[in-house]
Amino acid sequence: MSEPTNLPVDPEPIREILKNHQQQIRLGLRMCAHCGLCADSCFLYRANDRAPEYMPSYKFLNSIGVLFKKKGKVGKPAVEEMGALVFENCVLCTRCYCPFGIDIPALITLGRRACRSQGVFRAYDK
Amino acid sequence: MTHSEIFFLSAMGEWIRGPLAWAAFLICGAGIFIQYRRLLAMTRTQEPLQVIPLDEVQTRGSFADRLTGWLIFLRISILGHTPFMAGVSLIFHSGLMITPLFVLAHNELLDMAFGISFVSFSEAMTTKMTLLVVACGAFFFLRRIFVRRVRAITAPSDFVLLLIAVGPFLTGWLAHSHVLNYQLMIMLHILSAEIMLIMIPFSKFSHMIFFFVSRRLIAGEHGRITARRVWRYERLSNT
Repeated sequence: MSEPTNLPVDPEPIREILKNHQQQIRLGLRMCAHCGLCADSCFLYRANDRAPEYMPSYKFLNSIGVLFKKKGKVGKPAVEEMGALVFENCVLCTRCYCPFGIDIPALITLGRRACRSQGVFRAYDK
Repeated sequence: MTHSEIFFLSAMGEWIRGPLAWAAFLICGAGIFIQYRRLLAMTRTQEPLQVIPLDEVQTRGSFADRLTGWLIFLRISILGHTPFMAGVSLIFHSGLMITPLFVLAHNELLDMAFGISFVSFSEAMTTKMTLLVVACGAFFFLRRIFVRRVRAITAPSDFVLLLIAVGPFLTGWLAHSHVLNYQLMIMLHILSAEIMLIMIPFSKFSHMIFFFVSRRLIAGEHGRITARRVWRYERLSNT
């Protein structure tokens, strides 16, 4: 992960992302019945001892989902945590399968964008 | 019961059976329509990049090929890899939709009010279907508590929604078998069903609409190959 910084969270870019993709995020969050059926379609979930943190729905609910519900008002530690979730626990292979047809990778991508706008991103040299 | 309590209950009953029932059906119908329109408004049509011409996709292969294709499709869908959960879910949802239509008492009410009625199943049959729905609800409840991956994403509202979905069936069965106070149960039965109807378009119950609509219309949401709509973003930008 990127170096932890003490810079405060700048809510403006996050709000911009939320505003531009508001409808899609809202529909995704509203459709997700929290059924857990997407879990087995994630190879990282299967390879990591079936830890819930690798479940596709867990990844989008706890990144862009939280940002959406809190309207982008989160602290830096929360963004760092989200960054770990969307960059480390997901490779965006787009193989996740939702019985309701939610485009989970698109939502995780938005989570990545929000993290990147706060200087939190994948550090490949670690 | 005192006189004032009886008066209160009967007045409530009148209200629940009259205006609130109409309001519930109207709100549900209008809400579904509004949500459908909203989905159309937030998407736009776009011709996809068609690598293989569509008519070739649709007519490709013999019957056996297409059958194999369907079997592979089923194998990789949730019916293939979690058949038990998919089966329980299928029974629960079809029971939820079908049972109320064929309950004898519901059809008698319809007949009394409008002079029309559907086919009714026997009461023994509908009781079994009702209990099946309640049993599936209990399965979902236990699953939320005991399965680690489901527990990880469960919010308190999920239990409330499950209760609201199963509520009309549970109270209906209790009223039918005259367990506890019949008058109270039948009122709770009507009230819980009305709450569910009102909540369908505006809560997680809206997956009832979007399950079909989003897959049918939107390319990328695991839609059909003929899905032509894409998300409409307010403006093109990097965010």
